Amino acid sequence: MHIPDGFLPASVCAAGYVATAAVAGYSIYKINKQEDPREDIPKAALMTAAFFVVSWIHIPVPPSSVHLILGGLMGAMLGYYAFPAILIGLFFQAVMFQHGGLTTLGVNAIVMGVPALLAYYVFRLKNVGNHSGPAKTGLFGFLAGFGSIAVSVVLVVVVLLTFVPAGLDLSMERTATISLIIAHVPLMFIEGAFTALVVVFLLRVQPRLLGVA
Amino acid sequence: MHLRGIIVGNKQKFVIGLTLVIAILCFPAVVYAHGAFIEYTSSVEIEIVATYDTGEPMSDAQVVVYAPDDPANPWLTGVCDEEGRFTFTPDSSKTGTWDVQVRKSGHGDTAHIPVGDGGGTTGETGGYTVLQIVLMSVCVIWGFIGTALYFSRRKA
Repeated sequence: MHIPDGFLPASVCAAGYVATAAVAGYSIYKINKQEDPREDIPKAALMTAAFFVVSWIHIPVPPSSVHLILGGLMGAMLGYYAFPAILIGLFFQAVMFQHGGLTTLGVNAIVMGVPALLAYYVFRLKNVGNHSGPAKTGLFGFLAGFGSIAVSVVLVVVVLLTFVPAGLDLSMERTATISLIIAHVPLMFIEGAFTALVVVFLLRVQPRLLGVA
Repeated sequence: MHLRGIIVGNKQKFVIGLTLVIAILCFPAVVYAHGAFIEYTSSVEIEIVATYDTGEPMSDAQVVVYAPDDPANPWLTGVCDEEGRFTFTPDSSKTGTWDVQVRKSGHGDTAHIPVGDGGGTTGETGGYTVLQIVLMSVCVIWGFIGTALYFSRRKA
């Protein structure tokens, strides 16, 4: 779901950067309001490393293959750190592997980072109510993972199909994009299940890691 | 002129014959079409093969070709075959860098192909070996781990 260089008009790329700067600024503002803003940086750095490499681990979903994105897990574990972490991870993917591009970095950060923040808000809902046992944590973990992919797919499809360049067969691109959406439906479940497993595991062995304010 | 010479008489046969030979030698191309010309225009056919970084071909991906003199409007559009192959013959009078963009459902890449002036014949975009990718990944990951270690050192 990384949009490469040259696929979007310059104005859209610029708008993506503006939006990314705004969201990153808001995230950092929120981080700074925490008691110790530095405390969660090691966790964020390690999650960025995981985000960076996981795009190389392909899960075959015929007829194509997809990879975990970890947006939901990052939102659940990192809270507001998730957005800067994803931005840095995407930057390195673009520079090192040409996954995405530098001109589209802003757009890609919005496409993957905003759903991660939404996943954080969803995951936080597990604290509503009296008890938050493993079942409830797992359920909200699943929703965070599932939802982050769903929102990312919707965002990327809207961006791609709105700004199809002249000379490209729109209906053909639309058909190909629909098959992309279908390929990502299993990923929503895989990502949801993976996120649920990790948060339940962390709740058991290291609950402190989930206690993001 | 030499036709008239033939009618003149037997005694002058040798002279007429000589005249003929000279005439033929003087106007060879006019009299007999034994000469030949070849005009040539070399045209380069460009073949591209588009694959995902998993090695899987980008079958049926859309191709948009931009000529060097007009990078804004497509010069040619087409579709890759099953193996991700696409061939086209660029207008050889337009030397410079031809941009070939391949796209399928938001995935794709743009190749910049030099045409004319002895430009390269083969090339690829991206294209790291597995070893390079592993090494780059290790370096970047070590950077993240280093960051994590740096910010956790106060606790110790």
